[in-house]
Amino acid sequence: MPRSLLVPLAALLCLATLLSAGLSPAAGEGASVPGLSRAETLRLGERIYRDGILSSGEPLTAVVQGDIPVEGTMFSCVSCHLRSGLGSFEGDILTPPTNGDILYQPWDSHIETARLRRGTMEGTSKQRKRTLFYLTRIGEFPSRPAYTDGTLADAIREGADPEGRDFIGVMPRYPFGDREMAILIEYLKSLSKDPSPGVTDTTIRFATVVSGEVSRKERDELLVPLDRYVRIYNGHLRRKTRKSTGARAEEVVRLLPADSEPRLVSLVVWELQGSPETWRGQLEEYYRKEPVFALLSGITTKEWRPVHEFCEENAIPSLLPITDLPVVSETGWYTLYFSKGYYQEGETAARHLARTEAPVSGGPVVQVYPDTPEGNAFASGFRDAWNEGGRAPLLEKALPAGTQATREILEEATGKGRRSVLVLWTGAEAIPALNAMTGGDGGVSTIYMSATLLKEGLLAVPEALRDKTYITYPYGLTDTGPGMMYAKKKVTPQITDRRVPGKAAAIYPVLTEIFSWLESNYFRDYMFDIVDASMLVVASPFERITFGPGQRYASKGCYIVQLSKGERPELVRKSGWVVH
Amino acid sequence: MTVRKGLLFLFAIAIAGMIAFEGVAAARDPGYKRSVVRYDVPDVVLVNQDGAKLRLRALIESGKPVVLDFIYGTCTTICPVLSAGYTSVQAKIGPDTRKVQLISISIDPEHDTPKVMKGYLKQYRAKPGWDFLTGSREDIDRVMQAFDSYVTDKMYHRQVTFIRAQGPGEWVRIDGLLGSAELMSEIGKTSKK
Repeated sequence: MPRSLLVPLAALLCLATLLSAGLSPAAGEGASVPGLSRAETLRLGERIYRDGILSSGEPLTAVVQGDIPVEGTMFSCVSCHLRSGLGSFEGDILTPPTNGDILYQPWDSHIETARLRRGTMEGTSKQRKRTLFYLTRIGEFPSRPAYTDGTLADAIREGADPEGRDFIGVMPRYPFGDREMAILIEYLKSLSKDPSPGVTDTTIRFATVVSGEVSRKERDELLVPLDRYVRIYNGHLRRKTRKSTGARAEEVVRLLPADSEPRLVSLVVWELQGSPETWRGQLEEYYRKEPVFALLSGITTKEWRPVHEFCEENAIPSLLPITDLPVVSETGWYTLYFSKGYYQEGETAARHLARTEAPVSGGPVVQVYPDTPEGNAFASGFRDAWNEGGRAPLLEKALPAGTQATREILEEATGKGRRSVLVLWTGAEAIPALNAMTGGDGGVSTIYMSATLLKEGLLAVPEALRDKTYITYPYGLTDTGPGMMYAKKKVTPQITDRRVPGKAAAIYPVLTEIFSWLESNYFRDYMFDIVDASMLVVASPFERITFGPGQRYASKGCYIVQLSKGERPELVRKSGWVVH
Repeated sequence: MTVRKGLLFLFAIAIAGMIAFEGVAAARDPGYKRSVVRYDVPDVVLVNQDGAKLRLRALIESGKPVVLDFIYGTCTTICPVLSAGYTSVQAKIGPDTRKVQLISISIDPEHDTPKVMKGYLKQYRAKPGWDFLTGSREDIDRVMQAFDSYVTDKMYHRQVTFIRAQGPGEWVRIDGLLGSAELMSEIGKTSKK
């Protein structure tokens, strides 16, 4: 539905007008649509809003820029107003909030502007300057009365506010019939209306998930700094000061809105014991006892899937869990991962090979991997990416779990003497077999392996194999110290661990960004809207992590490296961070 | 309260955009700004939605009318309108959609893989003649700079369309968003010259 684009002032005017109009009862109390239960009305309304699909099942149609026809398959209300309905920004275009609580209340520009001006007297100097800048550059919103169902329907259909001012052309004009309009308006009234679970008058509750098999070292590397963050944050709120007392505190309280109603943060640890099949029940029990607003970080060496599915089904955001086995999905919404983990390494190897960055002799491409969750993740990534381009069939050999890749197995898989490309997702234990095989007849022209599987064995790749061995390396080639939030610190790349400190630290700026803008909009979808629109530059073990609307894997890259010659080889970069 | 929160967020974010752009005030005009400019397009090889490597200069210098814009696959506001405009052009130019070369260049090249771009074009019912290009961040930056459209972050995205004109390196630059008839008219002007 509404999609208002405005250049700043026009945007503000439009917002103000959209926010203005007629009579209007309180939002959310409207009658349901005849013939539909309230639940069904909201389901259908959500489908219009998010998917652009009408109650008939057909895509909606509309017109933008005066004469450009669009369909719901191209974009819909959510594209601009986002899931929370609280609006968005892109370039110099602001899309105003479109949830009932805002639309159906009057807007008094004098009060709101005065509030903003008061804000310029408080907060950090950076915040004061920014707030002042908004006021001087954007100006003030004109006052307007609350919307009514009638004026809102007119706005959606005709693209004009109740005072006759046209919205700009990017706001589609939707020729909805009365039934569709009623469904949509009911949905808008429900949008971002009630705070999400996990929030009380004084506290916003978070949990972090730690599975039982995680080592004490990694557990501490995650939990100690998380706990420290919470203590610093709460300490500053309790003192009701926004003055920083040091660099770290500055990061924590940066840009706290002057008039926000911040809640204290509580963080509990949800320990998961036993096999992943039992995790779902444990999660449900934790949540039943004490609902949380979101999950922060978390760590496991196993598949994250049970937690992922729990979060999807309960609409609980999960931010940056530390796992090499995430769920790789194009539709998952509620978990923001660092990357696709092992899968992403597999993808990168396939793309690198397909781009013929490596010498390919025309022989078969053979993938050998253990039939384990880890092996299957690598193999799936490679297979999916390889098959995207309609390339020659991939030969595969899955080794039963616990089976070592011997020379015989590798020779049989690759077809001795066929100049094959061997993609080998095992640890360094396979290197002697590999060396014996390739040293004998040179039957393998190119080898792909993974740095995260080889671990310290990476440096043990024999010199004779180095020219033909390409290694996926999913981290930056300069590393980031765990205490560094924004600056890259050059240190020797580590090979052997999961970079838990760096990953744990990466969540600080993300949390700070969320707290800076969440204010009292305690809606989970709004929290994700904030992260999605974030332009944060977050230091992490990865070369780069970025956010974007609906993007759920922050690190998009993985290097391909080789080892240099000599007894103390170095990593030599053989690809860009992202291989297409 | 909710109103304030949402607005404050919008305010802040708008400012960030304004800081990046000096032309914001001009953009208050609801129309669009047309200018004729010369650009030296870098000789980069980009990747299209099919995974094919394409030399950008060759694509631009194909002799056909060329329209170029900068978008990204998960863009919220500007790109859908730009791309719907492309869809309408293809609908209007007849069955041989290849006779006008439409080019969309990703400003989020790390996320926009060929698979993502192909899915995006499918959403917009793109036909042959519309290529969505990605590449290394360095190459994409060079292209954005060449078209005086460089942004440090995709959220600073600007709504600009470029139409290849007749002179060497000459382009019609459209700042702002066009309607379908306006876009067809601008394409017509450059091809008739």
